[in-house]
Amino acid sequence: MKQATLFLLLITLTVTARGQEYSAEQLKYFETHIRPALVKYCYDCHSVDAGDSRAGLLVDTREGLMQGGDSGPAIVPGNHADSLLWEAITWEGYEMPPSQQMPASVIDKFKTWIDMGAPDPRVRETLEFKTKITKDDIEQGRSHWAFQPPQPQAGQDIDSLVAAGLAESGLQPTRAADAFTLLRRLNFDIVGLPPTPSEIEVFADAFKVNPDAAVSSKVDELLARPQFGERWGRHWLDVARYAESSGSRNVSYPHAWRYRDYVIDAFNNDTHYDQFIKEQIAGDLLPAKTDEQWQNNLIATGFLAIGMKHHDEKNPRKFMSDMVDEQIDTTTQAVLGLTVACARCHDHKYDPIPTDDYYRLAGIFYSTKTYYGTTRIGQNHRPSDLLLLPVQDGGTPAARGGRTQSMASIQQRIDELDRQMRGVAGKDRRNLRNSRNRLVSQLQSLNPDGTAKAFGMGVQENGEMINASILLGGEVDKPAQEVQRGFVQVLGDLDFAVSSRRESGRLELAEALTSKDNPLTARVMMNRVWMHLLGSPLVETTSNFGLSGTAPTHPELLDHLAVRFMAKDWDVKAMIREIVMSKTYRRSSQYVVTNYEEDPDNKLLWRANPRQVDAEVLRDAMLALSGQLSAERPGGSVLAGMGGRPGSVNLPDNTYRSIYLPVVRDNLPESLDLFDFPDPNMSSTGRNESIVPTQALYLMNGEFVQAQASAMAAALQQQSSSREEQVRTAFLWAYSRPATSEELQASVAFFREFVPTAQGTPISIEPAAGPRGRAGRAGQAAGRGMAGGGRPGGRDPGMNREQGMNRGGAGPRGRRGPGGRTAAGRGRGGVSAAATSDQALAVFCQTLMASARFRILN
Amino acid sequence: MNMNRRQAVQTISTSLGSLAFTAMTTREALAYARQENPMAPRETHFPARAKRVIMLFMNGAPSHVDTFDYKPELAEADGKSGGGRGRLMGPISPFRQRGNSGLWISDLFPNVSRHADDLCLIRSMHSDQPNHPTAERAAHTGSAQFVRPSLGAWSVYGLGTENADLPGFVVMGQGGRAGRVCFGSSFLPARYQATQVNAGLGAGRGGRSAGGPGGSAEAIPNISNSSLSESAQRTQLNLLARLNQATLKQERHQPQVEGIMQSYELAFRMQSSMPTVMDLSAETERTKAMYGIGEAATSDFGTQCLLARRMVEAGVRFVEVGTSGWDHHARLAELLPESCQAVDKPIAGLLADLKQRDLLKDTLVIFAGEFGRTPHGSGGRGHNNRGYTTWMAGGGVKGGFSYGATDELGYEASENRMHTHDWHATILHLMGLDHEKLTYRYSGRDFRLTNVGGKVAHDIFA
Repeated sequence: MKQATLFLLLITLTVTARGQEYSAEQLKYFETHIRPALVKYCYDCHSVDAGDSRAGLLVDTREGLMQGGDSGPAIVPGNHADSLLWEAITWEGYEMPPSQQMPASVIDKFKTWIDMGAPDPRVRETLEFKTKITKDDIEQGRSHWAFQPPQPQAGQDIDSLVAAGLAESGLQPTRAADAFTLLRRLNFDIVGLPPTPSEIEVFADAFKVNPDAAVSSKVDELLARPQFGERWGRHWLDVARYAESSGSRNVSYPHAWRYRDYVIDAFNNDTHYDQFIKEQIAGDLLPAKTDEQWQNNLIATGFLAIGMKHHDEKNPRKFMSDMVDEQIDTTTQAVLGLTVACARCHDHKYDPIPTDDYYRLAGIFYSTKTYYGTTRIGQNHRPSDLLLLPVQDGGTPAARGGRTQSMASIQQRIDELDRQMRGVAGKDRRNLRNSRNRLVSQLQSLNPDGTAKAFGMGVQENGEMINASILLGGEVDKPAQEVQRGFVQVLGDLDFAVSSRRESGRLELAEALTSKDNPLTARVMMNRVWMHLLGSPLVETTSNFGLSGTAPTHPELLDHLAVRFMAKDWDVKAMIREIVMSKTYRRSSQYVVTNYEEDPDNKLLWRANPRQVDAEVLRDAMLALSGQLSAERPGGSVLAGMGGRPGSVNLPDNTYRSIYLPVVRDNLPESLDLFDFPDPNMSSTGRNESIVPTQALYLMNGEFVQAQASAMAAALQQQSSSREEQVRTAFLWAYSRPATSEELQASVAFFREFVPTAQGTPISIEPAAGPRGRAGRAGQAAGRGMAGGGRPGGRDPGMNREQGMNRGGAGPRGRRGPGGRTAAGRGRGGVSAAATSDQALAVFCQTLMASARFRILN
Repeated sequence: MNMNRRQAVQTISTSLGSLAFTAMTTREALAYARQENPMAPRETHFPARAKRVIMLFMNGAPSHVDTFDYKPELAEADGKSGGGRGRLMGPISPFRQRGNSGLWISDLFPNVSRHADDLCLIRSMHSDQPNHPTAERAAHTGSAQFVRPSLGAWSVYGLGTENADLPGFVVMGQGGRAGRVCFGSSFLPARYQATQVNAGLGAGRGGRSAGGPGGSAEAIPNISNSSLSESAQRTQLNLLARLNQATLKQERHQPQVEGIMQSYELAFRMQSSMPTVMDLSAETERTKAMYGIGEAATSDFGTQCLLARRMVEAGVRFVEVGTSGWDHHARLAELLPESCQAVDKPIAGLLADLKQRDLLKDTLVIFAGEFGRTPHGSGGRGHNNRGYTTWMAGGGVKGGFSYGATDELGYEASENRMHTHDWHATILHLMGLDHEKLTYRYSGRDFRLTNVGGKVAHDIFA
């Protein structure tokens, strides 16, 4: 396998077509009447020699005819009436050859020929792929650490396993983090939002009495919040390469959001990981007691449908083969940490994964029908149906709103277009047809009463179950031998073979992926969980546990986590709890020079990793500070209203949590894109942490940031009129701890030095168009803003912050922010004192949001 | 050059610390920040032939056998079997000898061909990676498997930048499949990674006109503040620096905090410097026309090429201009000419413009994709990483020169083979850097762009 090359193929020619024997008479009939006709009338557009396979059809071999093109098999041997070829040459339905019909006598011959069983000696050159990976190689490959079952670590726990490595290198770990640091860390890691002042106060008090108990109850409380799913669901969406458009030509997937919401709910409901995976791979095949459960399971299979696709691909086989490849690639990397898709064109270069394994999996996905929707318009040659969901909940809300049309009026316009299309050709006709297709799909998405149908993306079993042929070099026109559907052989006993003609094998695949005998699944997931909590994974190559991946820094610890995970029946919340309760997690991030020189990457975990907060956390935290954060779900996605090809998605007015921002491939919202949001074209292996001046520009000058800063300033003023209190509270909100004297000094200097300016465009702190009407209600929901007192342990200055943050009609929004319209007098004669102080405070708030302490979690 | 890491940290901390604690005027602050700036120009290992680089990257992998690798045998063998690999396909466009040097270049690059005597064709490139994302990463970072610093990042790390008000490494245009990892700094300090500029995406991008045909400050989002004067913002940044300084003091050593501090200082300076660089109004219509600006097919790439010239002129060390859509698996005869047309005139304009400004002699222009394409195919060509062509111009390379060769059909580099590591070693050498000495110590090991490979192709040096 090491020197695997592409050119291992053995070409043999067989005389009989896959076990078919024909009489000499039959063959003579074919040679005399049929072959010449096919050559004369069909080969020009449907043969390898002509280099053309219009509509995906090749008629130069028996396989070509049997396999057929876009519309299915061309011939049903023994039954001319059911054969598409017959329909075509008789000009019933299709009109072939298009210029002129074959003579009636020839057509007759075809009828006879099909009815006698379509004897055809033209066998495609039988290509054969011979893997260079032997059974022995696979057997030996199993000795790789990741293919061995994880070993229980008797009497050990996370801390003892980490301590062993530290002791070996003679490193002293840092002490435990203080209450403020730890609370901020727990909040960001578990729910992705900063703690409120009152939460800080309560926690700090409890921590003084009994740190373990304080942490324990805080963790339970955080894990039970609905914001947990919004934080941890996003982690999975990275892996699931969640997006709401196709990439490439970028056709919208307006129903993808259902999968997003499914993932969030799954984490909140503590759906155990084995079940979670099963639902995504084979939810449609799992038993369901209720329509709601059935709905849930169907939407889960959206995992397989939301991948990047080339809708402009004309060749249906190529499209299918690419889609299947994408499904295999994502599934194996996400769940197994294996790069099985490398074996599409050749044996895997590093792992004992022969090309056969890839096509054994491919057969499962070829036997699966993927529903991703879209409409045949312009360059979109490959639309599909959508899943009509069992629970009709009103469908995908279109953000455009108010565009209800009666079905009759749509039908009327379709009829009108039909009339116009008559006698029009070329580009005009195409345009009319595009409009018509758009209307038809609109019509199909409506119930008779004019309400929208509820659709989802996902998969179902295909009508026909097929094994895949190995494609030489991954090329669709070079099929070699068929392989039986199955699994990756190196995983030993988990391997299965499916020959049923009624089942794809997807259910078996789901079982194999989530079996407790699978050495990879639990390790891969625990490694990801560890990465999200500790800031760095145990296995650097999080989606490649194969031979070219990196070895774990703490193999025993990874095994321990995997074994515990399975012992707890794949309970993700329980494992998060276990990790954050460890001393290792709770350490300070303090720099220790001697340790640093020994282990700069903190591989041995001598301290907590300081890390930049994710794009979503940064944005959500700004919204929390400003009090603008909408605690609700948007219900669908703004993308739904954007039409076929989504435009700008920056949406600076949007105040929903970042997980609800539209994810358009190759066109991400600025607030995410600038801060290392992963490329949703492929399964993410973890986020980068870049620091670039374009981020700095965004935080200094961005419209969204300025608006949040203004709103935060207004909220502070609402709370207290004392500058000092405003400043102290601002630090508490932003840093989750009281300000240091150095920070206060710097602030004092700032307010002294800041010279307000009358120039520039005022900043509006008007909240989003979307939730505006609901702002008051949202204000009372959990997680809204920074409800709570000023200083922890101190008296709450001025009014009650909790009330202050509840945005009624007379909330700070009515008051406008510093750059806001209260400063309207500027243009007429300088800056009013109030406006000046407002601006200073807003700029101050913005500075906190831009500062390193806010952006780095320590 | 390998400044002790802790020393470096102290230097930065002191400079920004002082900056924060005295309320300096902008100019003073700038002057101060330039002192002992880690981005300041540095000594090279040996005299540099190229002071700056413009890399033109054709994401998707252009066909070499239809453009710069002349294969008469392939033309003759058109339609014949390629030995089990598929049917051979002759070049879709005729080749001709160009200039005094007589380099063979196809008609797909009529304008670039006029500069044949400046081109140094490297016809023996090969890469380990047959797929786009991995090959793009190998071509940019020397590693397909791990996240490593980009060639541009290594260059700025090695040489610093001539203009402290601009990023040292800028990327424009369309990226490839591998994404930003191609332009990152990985374990090198964050200041070395590329700054992305969205210039010249006038037409077709969701109707958003970033800078229009001229390119403008809007190409860099958020480049100006809507409500603060420069001095007010300076006061804000002083507070920011003091807060960050306090954080750094607490943490004692924190590269991320340092990176963030530097990013704000650079961003602040960019607010005044970038709009000037991006403003094409000072360019004559004749110059713009030379780059194909204003013509539908060439305007985007032409604008980016002109901006690249303005940037290197202003002191940016490494500029990459990317285009995508070169992955011609099908309809090659129709699509490859379109792709070539979009870049041909802009590249020719860039070469001519650099020359007339006497910049070409020490500006290295590189034309490359991540690999080449197979000599066989039906309608389109497959991926071919075993042999392909890149070229260089200016910056101390021989003009009108062809280096290395593939076999007679163009499948595999056969003569003077140049691996991506060799290519990187050669590029660094042109910049005066020894690829074996340009190292960065990380996690107990000295890393370099070329890993354990890299052979400098001295033959191409003028």
